[in-house]
Amino acid sequence: METFHYAHLPDNLAHVHLALFHDVSNAAQIRQRIVRASQLEGPDGDKEREAVNFAFVDARLITSLLHLQTAVYQAILAAVRGALRTKTVHSEIIWALSPNNNITEAIRRFGVSDTTQSLLVARVGPSGGTSIEGHMKAVVTGNVLPLADLPKLTDWAIVKKYYKLNADPALKAPGLSQDQQQLIANDIIVSTVAMKSVAS
Amino acid sequence: MPARVRKRSPLKLPERPYIALGLEGSANKLGAGIIRHDPDGATTVMSNVRHTYITPPGEGFLPRDTAQHHRDWALTVINDALNKAEISLHDLDCICYTKGPGMGAPLVSVALVARTLSLLYNKPLVGVNHCVGHIEMGRQITGAQNPVVLYVSGGNTQVIAYSQQCYRIFGETLDIAVGNCLDRFARVINLSNDPSPGYNIEQEAKKGKRLLPLPYATKGMDVSLSGILTSTEAYTTDKRFRSNGPSDDDGEDVITPQDLCFSLQETVFAMLVEITERAMAHIGSKEVLIVGGVGCNERLQEMMGVMAKERGGQVFATDERFCIDNGIMIAQAGLLSFRMGFQTPLSKSTCTQRFRTDEVHVAWRA
Amino acid sequence: MDSPTSRLLATATLISQGAEAKVYKAYLHPINENGSSVQPHSTERGEPILLKHRFHKQYRHPALDTTLTKARVAGEARAIIKCIRYGVNVPGVRMVDAPAGVLGLEWIDGKSVRFLLGGGAEGVEEVVGESEENEDEEFIEEDPLREYGISQDDIMRMIGSEIAKIHKADIVHGDLTTSNMIARHPTSPKGLQLVLIDFGLAYTSTLAEDKAVDLYVLERAFASTHPASEPLFASVLNAYAENMGKDWLAVSKKLTDVRLRGRKRSMVG
Repeated sequence: METFHYAHLPDNLAHVHLALFHDVSNAAQIRQRIVRASQLEGPDGDKEREAVNFAFVDARLITSLLHLQTAVYQAILAAVRGALRTKTVHSEIIWALSPNNNITEAIRRFGVSDTTQSLLVARVGPSGGTSIEGHMKAVVTGNVLPLADLPKLTDWAIVKKYYKLNADPALKAPGLSQDQQQLIANDIIVSTVAMKSVAS
Repeated sequence: MPARVRKRSPLKLPERPYIALGLEGSANKLGAGIIRHDPDGATTVMSNVRHTYITPPGEGFLPRDTAQHHRDWALTVINDALNKAEISLHDLDCICYTKGPGMGAPLVSVALVARTLSLLYNKPLVGVNHCVGHIEMGRQITGAQNPVVLYVSGGNTQVIAYSQQCYRIFGETLDIAVGNCLDRFARVINLSNDPSPGYNIEQEAKKGKRLLPLPYATKGMDVSLSGILTSTEAYTTDKRFRSNGPSDDDGEDVITPQDLCFSLQETVFAMLVEITERAMAHIGSKEVLIVGGVGCNERLQEMMGVMAKERGGQVFATDERFCIDNGIMIAQAGLLSFRMGFQTPLSKSTCTQRFRTDEVHVAWRA
Repeated sequence: MDSPTSRLLATATLISQGAEAKVYKAYLHPINENGSSVQPHSTERGEPILLKHRFHKQYRHPALDTTLTKARVAGEARAIIKCIRYGVNVPGVRMVDAPAGVLGLEWIDGKSVRFLLGGGAEGVEEVVGESEENEDEEFIEEDPLREYGISQDDIMRMIGSEIAKIHKADIVHGDLTTSNMIARHPTSPKGLQLVLIDFGLAYTSTLAEDKAVDLYVLERAFASTHPASEPLFASVLNAYAENMGKDWLAVSKKLTDVRLRGRKRSMVG
């Protein structure tokens, strides 16, 4: 797990904890826990909600650390302003990643699904030390990879489809190598996520 | 802005007093003014007389009727100016008249008077650009040295700055003038044209409470105003609109004519201040001079003042005597160019409805 | 006001101030605390970004000011994303806080074309006329272009081709000057590129007239900041024409008209 401290954000939202899990074997179970946590009432519900109080992002759809950070940051801005479009800052991250305003579709596409094998787990909150990593590992069964490995897991075909990049002239310029194409695609995606709050 | 040695003015002090008569009639005001330039550099307004053609509420002024008004009043206004100045036409050095821009028929009727006087008293004629008249009078009255000029009237909306013997237009309206926009809206809500529709809009706006959304159309240093007029008019057919103010059983959500005047002014003036500021930033000037009929509006002056203060500068404006079209400004600009040796021969003493500010050779400035 | 964005601005370095906005250099995303996977190219503070803050205008009615600022931040961001999708070299969007009037953009490591052509530092020009023609021109010690490994003509062609790209995307920049073009340094990750910046006045238009005015504004800017610029601008137009293909004819005709009358139309009093 890696932690990023934003000195200019309010304390309760100033720390972003990120961990990349690969070979995840219990995706279906995670998804069910999230669904159940949202339905349970009383203290048991609170406890379960706290246990899965993370953003679970399908890592195949993330093209760079900046991509994820941009979504996280925009979600935090909305949270501070009291302008969340979803229930929590964590669901807001999933929503911020999606290029359209449909919340259900955002969760289906960018969140955890029964077949997810690689997961980016994010937690926004106060400084939490190492206990947060423990909580993450208690929920997710898989191998932790460094965030730097993120680009290796990207599934470009599905990324291009979801972000509707296939028609973009930028990617059709003649003579682009695959690396250049991915660099450009990442640029488009990061900017799209950053400006979602003012997209037409 | 790099320090620059101020160039010496090409305008020499006069060796004797010079006196000019200025005649203005490019729109619905007929003006005659007499100005004197003294050897010590002093400038004196000897008289400044104006008569305005006022139409009934809801009506604008038509060229033919306006020209008739000017013809009817020309002698009275000129005689009045001469009497107040205590001079006769023989004492003049030149007769200045508005060559343009403006409405054709009124311009021609006043030019005819100027030509006639010129021939009768054997005085040289000086044709003057109306906009340059406003600028020169504004500079004279306020003492602003090298300001960015916002020229706002019924026929013109321009942001101007001086450069190399020319008043360059930095920004302007892409469609109708701001005064035209305000006047036309005054007609829509049936405000009186006395003393002027713009004045009455300003008074109504003070009672407005609610800022209604209107299109805000600046494009670089230019503005577009016709869309705003249309949108403001559209509110008068809105079912929340109460032309006589809210009645007792109305809730909060009503729109009054006062709200519309307020919204129109706030929006349009913000646009004007914005493009003026852009021009100031562009040329590095801290002074702004507002001229033209709309320049009397105190809310516009106030907003411009706030902007200028934020930039560490100041705003210069004049009152209605000099803001609103008048004869003295024509005399002032005309006498400046006359002292530089400029005259308009009789054969060329025509008028032109289109006459851009930047076409004038400003010989009297460095 | 103590929003995250205002606190971020407080830590930022002011780069320039225009009539409408202040521009800062700031650091948005920190590097990780554990320090295990430091990204390439990041300094201790991470990657810098550029913040463009459209500050509150006291003269404007507060409600109007708020709506306008939001709309302009949004408009600029939209113009940029459209450019990116069309393959124009522009700074990417990094952060948007429209209610605060702040747009965060990719930091471009490079020099303005104005500087590279010896047009002096920003902000010193802009004295209308009267400026004595560059006397210090003779003793330019070193050609800044050498560092970039390109000729003046190369830059001109790059400019022409970038402008053609935005116009093909039906975006009119609205304020093309050599200050609003940056040559990305050859050693930066993306390599040498000509990047168009400041889309604050940009708008969408399909009209050849608007595109011609865009070019004319640039031509005037060349003339006022770079003496003897005619051959330079001709090169810009050549590259523009090649890249515009069949659309060039219409723009070219309009450009001739615009040059004759100046940017402004004739007007009635």
